[in-house]
Amino acid sequence: MKTFEEKWTAWLDGQLSGRELAKFEASLPDKAAAEVEKADARKLRQLLKQELGARTLTNQEFFSHQVHEKIAQEDAEASQSSGRRSATTSTWWTIPRLLWAGTLSLAVFLVCTLFVVHEKTPTEESSYLTQILNARVDPVVSPNATVSMFEVKQDRVTVLWTEGLQSLPADYAAK
Amino acid sequence: MQTEATPAQADVSELDLVRRCQAGDTEAFDELVTRYRTRVFSMIYNMVHSEQDAWDLAQDSFLKAWKSIKRFRGRSAFYTWIYRIVMNVTIDWLRKKQVKGAGAEFDDAIQLRQVDPASKTVPKTEALPYEMMERDEIRARIEQAITQLSPEQRAVILMKELEDMQYHEIAEALGCSIGTVMSRLFYARKKLQNLLRDVYENI
Repeated sequence: MKTFEEKWTAWLDGQLSGRELAKFEASLPDKAAAEVEKADARKLRQLLKQELGARTLTNQEFFSHQVHEKIAQEDAEASQSSGRRSATTSTWWTIPRLLWAGTLSLAVFLVCTLFVVHEKTPTEESSYLTQILNARVDPVVSPNATVSMFEVKQDRVTVLWTEGLQSLPADYAAK
Repeated sequence: MQTEATPAQADVSELDLVRRCQAGDTEAFDELVTRYRTRVFSMIYNMVHSEQDAWDLAQDSFLKAWKSIKRFRGRSAFYTWIYRIVMNVTIDWLRKKQVKGAGAEFDDAIQLRQVDPASKTVPKTEALPYEMMERDEIRARIEQAITQLSPEQRAVILMKELEDMQYHEIAEALGCSIGTVMSRLFYARKKLQNLLRDVYENI
């Protein structure tokens, strides 16, 4: 218990004992006034108990019957809706199946597209790339020359990596 | 907390009833409803002060309890668990009513003013008419004082003073800390003492 309200409530309800009780009572500025208030709280409790007590529920059996009816109705509605759900799932074109069919079609389309792209001929590529591919390294001048090409199509970049080249071919001119 | 069943019945089969409910046995749930219906109705009535609303909210609470009984793990007493549902339903309803600002008078209060003390339609009871009137007046004062409290303060004071529930049980039922329960109890008592001092001093 931390606050004064909590301690006061516990004191009124006789929940304090021992050192805690002594400490709390010592902290009260006016013990007599506190005792009066404690007596007031008791009177209030008595009044509430006496006047509010247990309220009679008239038609008790009807009350239970009505609860029973509502439960039965609720259960019937629940089973109806689950029945509707199962009826929906028995038809072939359910939403999950449609989704699966769509995904499968998309996957087939992508595979076909990749296949077609892979099969493209070099002549369909850019003129710049064609020019590079047509460039020849003279085997007499540079017998150990190797030419590698790296291409990043989406960035429109092609890197021609040459090694062991003594001189550039005379007819090569990148534009 | 007392139930409508005998203690032996309650001790022997409450958990068993819950297990049967979890297996879908509505008869077992009927038995639980029978045990708790008066307490639940009474608690709700003291919070909302309308028989019709208390009836509907109690029905609603039991229906919710049935729907979620499979989630009851038995870590707390069944009545604490059902009180939690009852409190959620009732506090929620009170909040919505506050937001709507209906400001409707409680049906019993209206009833009080409409009944002519000399009328032959006043039900016969053992108490004398003026005693009944006085009692009705006191009850109306108490109910009016309770309406001055927040829904949470109402719940706390009724569970403590009428149901004799422990702080930890109230905390569990309201889903808050014990400190919060004690603090709400402090302010609820102060407010009711101020509003009802003349009533309890003169009894």
